Amino acid sequence: MKRKLTALMLTLVMILSLCACTASAENTKITFWHSMSDNAGVLMESYIQQFNATVGKEKGIEVELVFQGSYADATTKMNSMLNTNQTDTLPDVMQLDATGKVSYHASGVAYTIDQARADDAAFDTGVGALLNAAMGNWNFAGTQLGLPFATSTTILFYNKTLLDSVNMQAPETFADIISLAAALPKTTEAGTELIPYAAIPNTPTLANWLGQLDSYVVNHKNGSEASATELACIDNGALATFLTEWKRMYDEGALKNTAASSDAFVTGQLALYTSSSSNVTSLLNKINGGFEMGVAFYPKVNEEASFGASVSGSCLVMFDKQDDAKKAAARELLLYLTSAPIQADFAVGTGYIPANENAVNEAVYQQLLQEYPQYKVGMEQLAVTPAAMRSVTVGPSTDFYYAIQNCVSDMLEYGDDAETTVDIMADELGGLLYQYAQANQ
Amino acid sequence: MTRKQKKRLSDALLSLLALCLGLAIIFPVLYGILGAFKSEAEFAAYPPTLFPQSFGYTENFETVWRQVPVLRFFFNSFVVALLGTGVRLVFAILAAYAFVFFEFKGKRFLFFLILGTMMLPADTLLITNYQTVAQLGLMDSYLGMAITSFVGASQMFMLRQNFKSAPLALKEAAHLDGCGDLHFMLSILLPISKPVLVTLFVQGFVTMWNAYLWPLLVTNQNDMRTIQVGITMLTTLEDTNYHVVLAGVAISLIPAFILFFFLRRNITRAMAAGALVG
Repeated sequence: MKRKLTALMLTLVMILSLCACTASAENTKITFWHSMSDNAGVLMESYIQQFNATVGKEKGIEVELVFQGSYADATTKMNSMLNTNQTDTLPDVMQLDATGKVSYHASGVAYTIDQARADDAAFDTGVGALLNAAMGNWNFAGTQLGLPFATSTTILFYNKTLLDSVNMQAPETFADIISLAAALPKTTEAGTELIPYAAIPNTPTLANWLGQLDSYVVNHKNGSEASATELACIDNGALATFLTEWKRMYDEGALKNTAASSDAFVTGQLALYTSSSSNVTSLLNKINGGFEMGVAFYPKVNEEASFGASVSGSCLVMFDKQDDAKKAAARELLLYLTSAPIQADFAVGTGYIPANENAVNEAVYQQLLQEYPQYKVGMEQLAVTPAAMRSVTVGPSTDFYYAIQNCVSDMLEYGDDAETTVDIMADELGGLLYQYAQANQ
Repeated sequence: MTRKQKKRLSDALLSLLALCLGLAIIFPVLYGILGAFKSEAEFAAYPPTLFPQSFGYTENFETVWRQVPVLRFFFNSFVVALLGTGVRLVFAILAAYAFVFFEFKGKRFLFFLILGTMMLPADTLLITNYQTVAQLGLMDSYLGMAITSFVGASQMFMLRQNFKSAPLALKEAAHLDGCGDLHFMLSILLPISKPVLVTLFVQGFVTMWNAYLWPLLVTNQNDMRTIQVGITMLTTLEDTNYHVVLAGVAISLIPAFILFFFLRRNITRAMAAGALVG
């Protein structure tokens, strides 16, 4: 009996040790939801394959990459899971844009960058190489939520051939755009109307222009430190200054009150086009040698304003799945994706600005700058953009966006003065913030 | 002008109007298919052209093929659309039959209750449906993607209206010949309702084929994605690449064209009979 018991015990120990061996040999599997499509999606897949084959293999990590549609779709999915308490089905790492920031912060299952830095000294060191301007965009209420991955800013694209033909330089201020418009012909060679500049201000562009005037659109630093409750650009006169200059451009015939399209620009119907810095290659491909394209800093409201535009794009966030091994694996993945070689390669493949300051020294990125010097402008602008400039985070984001567009458009179309429009915007935008705050108390 | 001439003129005018309407409806589809053969520069050219320079330009299709596992996504969409449409049609037939040929307590109330569900916007049901499907353990499954389409009030309503047009004497005669309800439904009622059934099937299939958000929500594995999610994989985030997206759309239209080609007679007959309201 005793012998039988010993044999049984030994068998049990062997089975258990076998299980232990298997467990230690098993990789830590983590899931990564991303929203990169087209070329960026192909690149993302290759990075994850590389990670699994190198760092992952070495450290026993396996990443499963899952495409979850656009940023808005992915955020809808995240919100669905949070609202139904299905947090166990959330991924370990997720790519988010500004629309998902507030939900992630309030999710209760966020594993923030601040926590990760405290947990891991190597992670803390690695994060130090990321650009402050890019990092700041993913800070909410004093907490660093994520690390910048796809970073871009807004810059000015111009038809250099056209501007050269009238001996004009790229405009720096709204006043310069007026001077340029006066010098440009009224029609294109094809006989269609030549539009000097076209835009309708919305939430992000207003944040840029008011940011240049050292002002925020809403309080709490454009809603980056706490939920915005009121406008922050009325009493300091920044909104009035912007509207006055904007209206002057329209009245002088330099501005068309319509949303600009890249197609109008590449077909020579639009002289100046403000868009994402990541569009350089795409615009050059579309222009296809039709004219020389110049790139310059985002125009300033007036001489007193600073140059710059806020950062946009997306970041990588982590979820707390109550598993230290998964958290460590997620940190490794974030470090890998924000490392200089990956950021440089991603910038070359997509046109985004590398978020890692060491990426510019990578050979592939140097080669890109040689081939397309236009890419320098986005980085240079980011370097001079005021550190305090923030994109706007407000609860009623859609209504807020369209209210700005409608108010400014109405001012131009109906000939209202800037002061009246300031009052109208104070009522409408302030009302939206108040209603949202009341409904979400 | 004689009456015959007047009739001929009004017929010609009506035909012309129908032709114009037809062209207006088909134009976006044509534009999309033609655009799929254009290069990026060609797409942005001014003045814009309808026809591509060459139908031999297939780079957009090659890009789609390279970036998206088209066949796998096609298969997933096909299974989900077939499952969802098939089961919905079965439920709609059974419910419509009961509402037309059976008398039971609360019939009117139940009928209006079902119709009332048409008033509920699909978006408001998203979270609760998600919760149900997740708790049933149906995430990442064909059943999970199709289950919310198993019951459709509009199909039931349309079939009820169609069944009502079947003469009651037909059912009485069938009963006299010893035909039960199921036999009558399968052998007599459904064959005479074939055009409507086919139309509802095509309409349902195309709607399910085009579904995007729900299949995206309830799947977390790339292998389970549908073709519409695949098309999103082709879009760029900060600019437009219509030429590649249109190539993806052109590919995704193939099943709808095949269905229409084989079933067009039944669809036309159903429309001519005025059986459908929308």
